[in-house]
Amino acid sequence: MSTANKVCVVIPAYNEGSVIKNVVKGIKTSLDATSIVYEIVVVNDGSKDNTTAQARLGGAKVIDHILNSGAGGATATGLSYANQNGFDFAVTMDADGQHLAKDVINGIEKAQKTDVDLLIGSRLIDTKGMSKVKILGNKGLSVITWLLFGVNVTDSQSGLRIFSQKALASLRWKTSGYEFCSEMLWRAKQLDLNISEYPIKAIYTDYSKTKGQNNWNAINIVKSLVKRRIVEIFE
Amino acid sequence: MRYIILLLLNVPIISIALLNLVTKFKLRKISKKRFSIQMILWAILLIVLIFSFPVYNLLTGKPPLDSHELSLFDIVQTTAVIFLIYIINNMRQKIEWNEKTIRDLHQELSIKLSEKDNGKS
Repeated sequence: MSTANKVCVVIPAYNEGSVIKNVVKGIKTSLDATSIVYEIVVVNDGSKDNTTAQARLGGAKVIDHILNSGAGGATATGLSYANQNGFDFAVTMDADGQHLAKDVINGIEKAQKTDVDLLIGSRLIDTKGMSKVKILGNKGLSVITWLLFGVNVTDSQSGLRIFSQKALASLRWKTSGYEFCSEMLWRAKQLDLNISEYPIKAIYTDYSKTKGQNNWNAINIVKSLVKRRIVEIFE
Repeated sequence: MRYIILLLLNVPIISIALLNLVTKFKLRKISKKRFSIQMILWAILLIVLIFSFPVYNLLTGKPPLDSHELSLFDIVQTTAVIFLIYIINNMRQKIEWNEKTIRDLHQELSIKLSEKDNGKS
């Protein structure tokens, strides 16, 4: 694998003080064992706890959002940092510890070997360990993403994504909540970016089950996506 | 006479909207797609207003499309609706622009301030 490529690992975090240090340490230890040149950036999205201090203890660079602006806003800030600082690839992953370091490394290696611009780690290719409710919710949102935007992926809501330099330089979205996951795919399609998926495992602990999206939040996501789709007919 | 009042009240609003639209497009503040769609919407409104009297004459005495003649209340209501469309359209564009500016500002500020913080530590 080429060591010339610089990779920025972006972790958007909101009130993740109790787990962020271990998440950062875990990914750092795994990446240190490879030849990947990397930097870990935690975007603290206006947390009210000690997320910043804990992320620094884990060894990450921290970007503090002055205001809480949602997962979409925090991810955009992290990717903007990666673009401004000349990274060749960026990886986004969840701060609740649901992603395995080996899946992150697999994704980076796949992205480096292929010409894919947006590589999505899909939890729904192999659904072992996922609850039926989560599977249903995520599959539903993927179907809605396909119906609204014509992007056919198995897991439109996955937080583990790998971006090429081309995607970093061009990909922008307007929504700031969790709906950005689907909107990002739409923008990538509009920009003719090469989108692909690879299977990953998701680890659901008691802690991670309390974080992220639930099926009720999915209703808000769908409402927001439909609104955005209709508004853009007139733009 | 009432149809002329309707035109006199509404054509200036639509003309201002069209002028704003052309200016924004020429200054590259809006995309070609947005310009075209908005142009079509305002043009439809203008055509409907201009041809409202001939259309009324054509439909008079032909149920179920037959209707009462234009009242003064109709004129006020139609003018208010067109004026509101103009205001809402302008507001939406301003809100979108402000949202984008605030988002970009917040992003840049956070990155710059963090660079300072990380430099100190």
